[in-house]
Amino acid sequence: MPEATPAIGVCNLRKVYGDRAAVDGLTLAVPRGCFFGFLGPNGAGKTTTIRMLMGLAPPTSGSIEILGLPMPERGLEIKARIGVVPDESVLFDRLTGGEFLEFAGRMYGLDRAVAAARALELLTLFELDMETRKLIVEYSKGMRKRLAMAAALIHRPELFLLDEPFEGVDAVGARMMKDLLLDQVRNGATVFLTSHVLEVVERLCDRVAIIDQGRLVMESSMAALREGSETLEDAFVRLIGADRVQGKLDWL
Amino acid sequence: MSSRVRAILGAQWRCTWHLLTRPGGRVLAGILWLFWYGLWASVGVAAGIYTALASRADLAVVLPAILMGTFLFWQLAPILTTDAGASLNVRKLQLYPIPDGELFVVELLLRLITALEMLLVLAGTLIGLVANPDVPGWLPAPALLLFVAFNLFLSAGLRSLLERLLAIRRVREIVVFAMVTCGALPQLLAATGRGGHLLRLLSFRQSVFVPWAAASRLALGSQTIPALPILCAATVAAYVFGRLQFRRSLRFDAAAARSTGSSGSAAWADRLYAWPAALFSDPLAALVEKELRTLARSPRFRVVFLMGFSFGAIIWWPLMHGGHSGPGGLSYPVVVSGYAMILLAEVAFWNQFGFDRSAAQLYFSTPAPFALALRAKNVAGMTFVGLEIALILLVCTVLRVPLSLASIAQAILVTLVFSLYFLSVGNVSSVYQPRPVNPEHSWGRSSAGRFQLYMLLLFPAIAAPVALAYLAAWFLESRAVFYGILALDALVGTACYHYATRAAVAAAEKRTEEFLAALSQDGGPFVVE
Repeated sequence: MPEATPAIGVCNLRKVYGDRAAVDGLTLAVPRGCFFGFLGPNGAGKTTTIRMLMGLAPPTSGSIEILGLPMPERGLEIKARIGVVPDESVLFDRLTGGEFLEFAGRMYGLDRAVAAARALELLTLFELDMETRKLIVEYSKGMRKRLAMAAALIHRPELFLLDEPFEGVDAVGARMMKDLLLDQVRNGATVFLTSHVLEVVERLCDRVAIIDQGRLVMESSMAALREGSETLEDAFVRLIGADRVQGKLDWL
Repeated sequence: MSSRVRAILGAQWRCTWHLLTRPGGRVLAGILWLFWYGLWASVGVAAGIYTALASRADLAVVLPAILMGTFLFWQLAPILTTDAGASLNVRKLQLYPIPDGELFVVELLLRLITALEMLLVLAGTLIGLVANPDVPGWLPAPALLLFVAFNLFLSAGLRSLLERLLAIRRVREIVVFAMVTCGALPQLLAATGRGGHLLRLLSFRQSVFVPWAAASRLALGSQTIPALPILCAATVAAYVFGRLQFRRSLRFDAAAARSTGSSGSAAWADRLYAWPAALFSDPLAALVEKELRTLARSPRFRVVFLMGFSFGAIIWWPLMHGGHSGPGGLSYPVVVSGYAMILLAEVAFWNQFGFDRSAAQLYFSTPAPFALALRAKNVAGMTFVGLEIALILLVCTVLRVPLSLASIAQAILVTLVFSLYFLSVGNVSSVYQPRPVNPEHSWGRSSAGRFQLYMLLLFPAIAAPVALAYLAAWFLESRAVFYGILALDALVGTACYHYATRAAVAAAEKRTEEFLAALSQDGGPFVVE
């Protein structure tokens, strides 16, 4: 597959629920080896977009290419090469962390012994190895996110699709996850990340895109943004939230 | 079997094992399991003894009937009980690169587990046929294996098709209602003197063109030539249907289907929701209003509510000889109301916090006491019971059931007394056996298997006070005795309700953490709901 193709290429992507377009004519290209931040207010269409990229929801119209392969036509090959952390829990509550990681590894086609060995290493790396018999149902929110991230790494994917991966994770855990992702990008992987924390995006990402009401309202490299007078927060508020920050309630 | 399929089965086995090894979980689950499958194993043994000893001529008549019975149970029982057992947790599994074919294998294994009862019956039948000297020894095994494969593929396809239909807002209730009504039609036809149509329909079972008759003839070695190709063709057709429907379900966008149609409430419904404010002050009024809205918007609730006054009226019509009274003056509206009450209890009484899932923590974090939340759920439940009775009386009028003021009063009073005992047990079970339920699912159980066992044992006790009033009226032929005992039942029921609710509130406050944790649990690769 020619490496010139972007890691993610979407063209005129549209997803309609009833009479409402959650994503409306989105066109985007994420270069390989890029740390890409995908921002937007609540309900802007970020999660719907990432779910379409993961193959969890078919688009109403438009095309998606992941690592040069069309989605959903080549869905299986794509899924084997991506690591995902969706917004909702995709963990099996009645398994232990180790059992779940081994399961995920085997789902990605790893040999059982290899999956078990990597699961142990990932548990240690993500500091989830203290109570190996603990069921996932007993995990805190942050632990669940860390486990989901570990499962996304187990098969060494080329592309990461991460929906709010640091939500609920403590500062130390989040730092470790960020460093790990930066390492992956240095090694040639691509990260597509949504987050509400603009500082995180500003610090990690090479490029950012902002989506509002299903439409792309800005796409820029962080370098270009830094050259201007605006911070990412300024640009975000100017583009989609200028009226919201001025509102106030008399009784409050 | 591929390594992925083995991994899915292994993960599910571990999930089940961790669940069963909880303290107190193993013994009761084991008893329930042994009771149910022991019963079906006995049916299998009986079928085996019969088929081993019967003559070939008798088998030619009875074997198609046995196979038709297994076919109907396998395909229709999940639909009629609105409980299809475990299903694949596609939402979680579709993240991984698993080929459709491998998921289909797991789905077939699930359908096999769901029909374990029928496998026991067929295994008994097969052993009996092989042991019967009148039957060619080598034919029953391939015939019944093909028949099992046919049923498996068909049930996988039907389940997938229904799953998609039931995901579409407004359509799902109509589909479930149509299915359960169809299930009651044979009984209705037989009881209304139109049994001739039914018999003609059933005589179709003897035709070699239906799969169970083809399998039967193949097993007995008669008409092997048309039977074998017909059974093979039916199995291939079922495979194609099953595979196609399963594939469509995997590609199905449930969120998009759910988004069709408005989810808001109509103006008339808003008036219904607003009545608590006229009777109660906040926060109780707000809590009751929330419960009314939540229940009315839950497909699972709407289905059982609809079934109560419609399916209930149909199924009890012939049993009550066209709406006439039974022993002790037990009237048709009372019987239908009692049945509707049992259906409603599954979603509105036994597991009252199931639909709230993780939002249940709100009851412990707001200044309103937990007792108020429980009372609000009871008031909302009773509101729908009242509505159900009104609709049942309306149906009775349409069916021209003779209704007097006394029979109407009896229906209302008996249901109210009955509900006192239901609420008492329900409040305790809702706190001690909470279980998260997806209100979007039109079918599935809302209470835990362990609780279903408790109910099996408790139900006679719940029904006993009202049954006693009818028995006394029957023996003494006195309406005054009936109403006297009913009044006594109401007093005892009120006391039971008072103490049960107090105990439930105390338990919820003491075991808050366990209670909330139980409501936020999720499953494994299979969804068992």
